[in-house]
Amino acid sequence: MPVLPLVGAIINAALRRSLSGNTSGGFATLMILGSFVVSLLLFMGHDPAAHPVKIVKFFDWINVGGMEIPFAFQIDALSLTMMLIVTGVGSLIHLYSVGYMHDDKRVATFFAMLNLFTFAMLLLVMGANYLITFIGWEGVGLCSYLLIGFWYTNTEFNYAARKAFVMNRIGDVGVVLGMCLLFNLFGTLNYVDIMDRAGSFGTGHGMIVGATLLLFVGAMGKSAQIPLFTWLPDAMAGPTPVSALIHAATMVTAGIFLIVRSSVLFELAPFTKDIILYIGTATALLAASIGLFQNDIKKVLAYSTVSQLGYMFAALGLGAYSAGMFHVTTHAFFKALLFLGAGSVIHALGGEQDIRKMGGLKGVTKITFITFLIGTIAISGLPPLSGFFSKDAILAHAFQDNKVVYGLLLFGAVLTAFYMFRLLFLTFYGTYRGTAHPHESPLVITVPLMVLAALSVVGGMLNVPHIFGGDEGMKTYLATAAEGILSERLGLSHTTEWILMGVSTVLVILTIVYAYGRFVKKTTLDGDPAQLFGLKKLIANKWKLDELYAMLFEKPYGWISAHFFSIGEEKVMVPLMTGVGNMTLRAGKVISRLQTGNTSFYVFGMVAGILVFLLITLFVN
Amino acid sequence: MEPVISAIQVVPLEHYVFLSFALFSIGVTGVLFRRNTIILIMCLEIMFNSVNLLLAAFSAYHSDPSGQVFVFFIMLVAAAEVTVGLAILVMMKRNVDSVDVNQLNRLKW
Amino acid sequence: MQVLILLLIPFVTALLLAVFRPNAAAKTIALVSTFLTLGVALWLWKGFGGIEATYFDHVWIAEWGLNFKLGFDGTGLLMVILTAVIFPFIIATGYKQDLRQPALVNALLLFSQSFMLGVFTAQNAFLFYIFYELSVVPIFFLLLYWGGEGRRMITMRFFIYTLLGGLALLFGIAYLVVHEPTHSADFTALANVALDGNTQTWLFWALFLAFAIKLPIFPFHSWQPETYTMAPLQGTMVLSAVMLKMGIYGTLKFIFPIVPEGAAFWQNTVIWLSVIGAIYAGIIAFRQKDFKRLVAYSSLSHVGILTAGLFAWNTYGISGSLYQTFAHAVLMMAMFYIVGAVQQRSGTSEISAMGGLKLKTPRLAALFLLVLGNAIALPLTQSFIGEWLMFNGLWQLDGGAWMAFGAVSTIVLGAIYMLYVYQRIMLGPDKGHPDMQDADTTDHLFLVPLIAITLILGIYPAPILDLVNGPVQLMINAFPILH
Repeated sequence: MPVLPLVGAIINAALRRSLSGNTSGGFATLMILGSFVVSLLLFMGHDPAAHPVKIVKFFDWINVGGMEIPFAFQIDALSLTMMLIVTGVGSLIHLYSVGYMHDDKRVATFFAMLNLFTFAMLLLVMGANYLITFIGWEGVGLCSYLLIGFWYTNTEFNYAARKAFVMNRIGDVGVVLGMCLLFNLFGTLNYVDIMDRAGSFGTGHGMIVGATLLLFVGAMGKSAQIPLFTWLPDAMAGPTPVSALIHAATMVTAGIFLIVRSSVLFELAPFTKDIILYIGTATALLAASIGLFQNDIKKVLAYSTVSQLGYMFAALGLGAYSAGMFHVTTHAFFKALLFLGAGSVIHALGGEQDIRKMGGLKGVTKITFITFLIGTIAISGLPPLSGFFSKDAILAHAFQDNKVVYGLLLFGAVLTAFYMFRLLFLTFYGTYRGTAHPHESPLVITVPLMVLAALSVVGGMLNVPHIFGGDEGMKTYLATAAEGILSERLGLSHTTEWILMGVSTVLVILTIVYAYGRFVKKTTLDGDPAQLFGLKKLIANKWKLDELYAMLFEKPYGWISAHFFSIGEEKVMVPLMTGVGNMTLRAGKVISRLQTGNTSFYVFGMVAGILVFLLITLFVN
Repeated sequence: MEPVISAIQVVPLEHYVFLSFALFSIGVTGVLFRRNTIILIMCLEIMFNSVNLLLAAFSAYHSDPSGQVFVFFIMLVAAAEVTVGLAILVMMKRNVDSVDVNQLNRLKW
Repeated sequence: MQVLILLLIPFVTALLLAVFRPNAAAKTIALVSTFLTLGVALWLWKGFGGIEATYFDHVWIAEWGLNFKLGFDGTGLLMVILTAVIFPFIIATGYKQDLRQPALVNALLLFSQSFMLGVFTAQNAFLFYIFYELSVVPIFFLLLYWGGEGRRMITMRFFIYTLLGGLALLFGIAYLVVHEPTHSADFTALANVALDGNTQTWLFWALFLAFAIKLPIFPFHSWQPETYTMAPLQGTMVLSAVMLKMGIYGTLKFIFPIVPEGAAFWQNTVIWLSVIGAIYAGIIAFRQKDFKRLVAYSSLSHVGILTAGLFAWNTYGISGSLYQTFAHAVLMMAMFYIVGAVQQRSGTSEISAMGGLKLKTPRLAALFLLVLGNAIALPLTQSFIGEWLMFNGLWQLDGGAWMAFGAVSTIVLGAIYMLYVYQRIMLGPDKGHPDMQDADTTDHLFLVPLIAITLILGIYPAPILDLVNGPVQLMINAFPILH
């Protein structure tokens, strides 16, 4: 099934010169739709109760000594969920791209890369062992690099792409080492085998904790958590569909996926879970704070993604795996929607991305506005949209386990609502502040928007909690795949749950009202970061983290590299080696002084030599 | 033969050895330190003679004729060698216009 | 007998080329010769039974224990195939280069191929040594007369330094032969020499120094960057793709069977030296100004990991190392070819002078990118499998976690410098370069098979792994090192 996008990628790449935008785009979209159909069929044929897990093995990939790693796929609830998301949302984004990338010269290459990315992502979620997943893991990293740097004549974009890849790779070190450890411990990398045998290790076993930590390092890189998150905002350099697909819906969720896959292991490592919780919460807050002051429409969404990912990780840290996955699903819907909507706005304004130059678009781009509004409401967590259910599930778990974290996450939700509605108001309300001629986008763009909006509205139905009379469908479904979910318990009383939901909803509504007052009534525009003071200035400058990283890592690395070469190599190593040669030469010069050419000297030498021999024979014998 | 041998053996063997050694050293010193090639060849002859003397002495003292036979060989070889040496001397005079052995210093590349 | 033919084909061709100097047809003749050799090698592979085999034995000089004994086991066959596969590409590079006196150049290349094949098939330590030293000679001449700037000094340094190692090796062999009951230098006989621990400690370095310099590993590496940079493209390819494999092969043949205790004593040191060297080279590669030099340092980095994996002395380590030698050879060929291609088109190999070449040569950029995947050990390429196996091998040692960490960190360093150089050369705005020719058929003919090998073996590594598995297991069981 992943073959379909791969075929699409190869054909598009090979014929890229001759295909027009529509043909290649149509072809690519068809490939993804095909995969989606197959996923649906698999989904419907999958019986979670009777056969929770199905392994399809193709051939023995690596077979050395005791290491047997088959090239196999695992079809279970978790992989099916991800497959549906990837192919479903993916096909919508492909369709969208046909319209969005219409004028670009290299559009066929674009679709080739998009298809390749989908292929890699499918490998990632369908792998039956860690190594196959890793193929996809690195593959999406590569495609991310290619796609972020798609407009390669811009040096800054290239730099952003490289930064993304390198940060991913740093995380990959963790994954590789984690896999080494797991293999060493279990003798296999197959998910089913590891999950079966993991039970024999007690909780808190050093190796398991180590492996889970290492895997989390990988997740940190791929899913943009502190400290490896600065690549994601920069990745907005890529075309908007790329941001939607990769950085909202799929690649960044790979880290979450990995952890949920290994939920059995993580359940045995409470230490790691705590760390995940803290980092996730911190990331959620930090990113939300930065998002408050960003003026680029895509950057706001980028930081929002990082923040939402933080929520998902917090959920995982609390052991609420299905809540995390639920949020992944709903986030895929509304974040893709938001990004595509942003793309529609950018397209409508002919490339403008600064929200200070927007405004008043709700009359012009009606469909975009309505869908964007829906997405914003969803992400703010207002009932009865999907975001409400997923976010509240996480908040409920947080309240149960750690009140401080709950408070922080609630605050983060408030911030989320604030910056998202700020974005909405500044972009669509008021009067138009820009210079372009806005127009609504074509159907090819708006149809995916509408579909995603619909999904954002009804997506909550997937996992309705008990107090509403639902049966937590997704949680039960996923539990068949990841046994760690079984230990996910929400033991709050119904009253508490109602109160929590009420509190969050009220706070969000208050925030919206405040934002409305600030941005619509008074049309306050946060000016340049240079004009702000104190803490606001720091936050607006992204907490100067990029500068910090440059100072701590990039500059020293370049310095070390140059100096290793100039000092290490040229002054130390090379002389060591030339020393050998020089010694030989010098020894030769000294000895060559014996050759005087003077005959009597040679006679003298002969006599001396004979004397020496005589003496030796005399004294040795 | 007895009276001859006993007459020879009046002089102790060590005397012959010392004399031979002295002659040889003189010869070696001459070869090393004299510049004139003709003198050098004469010193070579001194060395030869010292060895001959020693061989003859030992031969007489131990009544072994092979020593004196060997002396004949040496004299034969010495004669041939002197011939060659004098030929080189003549060539040297012709080419370098001197019999100073230090003038032969072109054995360096 | 076929093994002898294997060696003779390139040797005779080289001789004919050197004597008759058919300059016009030289490259074609050489290419045909290498294909013949490849054919023989593949035939040998087909008929290979999986166990060690001796094909030709002739007593040469009995007093020195020197027998002209040729044969191979799985690892030797792997090296032979590697050489046979790589050399057609090396000769083919000559079509794009315009070196003077092509007949001589190709003759030298073929001589070196013949001698290197001799190295890989020699079953007698002395014979190994002879071929080992001989193989440097054609390269010496190639570098001296066709090299770039500073070729005199650099070639002399390279030569003397390599010979120094060879001297140590000779000394070690002599020592062993003297102590060996039958005074034979056959590998099988040498393995039976009883040596005590102390002797093995210094004998290890006597034997290993030559290979440490050849590979090279830190700190014996200084000759490598300058020599690679200065050498003509085909010379660099021979050096990096094939010659350094002699170091790996030599280590396998000499060190572990003959001085296992010495190896056990020095194991950690050598692994750490290799890993540190790999990291060191990876860091330096980043700020290099010359493209060719950067690739040289990247080769150095990869070789460090190779050696570390080898010295892990367990199934994964050695299998990975051997598998990776093949991957490394393919990678170096492709990388240096691209270096040459870029250099020809832009007239320089200074990175700062290039930029935005993708606009002019998009196909070449695409090929570059594919090769890059192999360089950074992207999964589905050969390098990934080799490196993954080696990482595992390292991890399983005592204290191996840190070694593995050091080794794995090179994937980050590799990504950094590789993407950096790709970006600086290919991407970026138009710098006003004159129009260049994009990758043409020859370029594709060269690079596409290499890329294909990379991907195919990345997805289906079984052929090579199976070849190597048997002898690796034998070696480990026969000569276990305590770790």
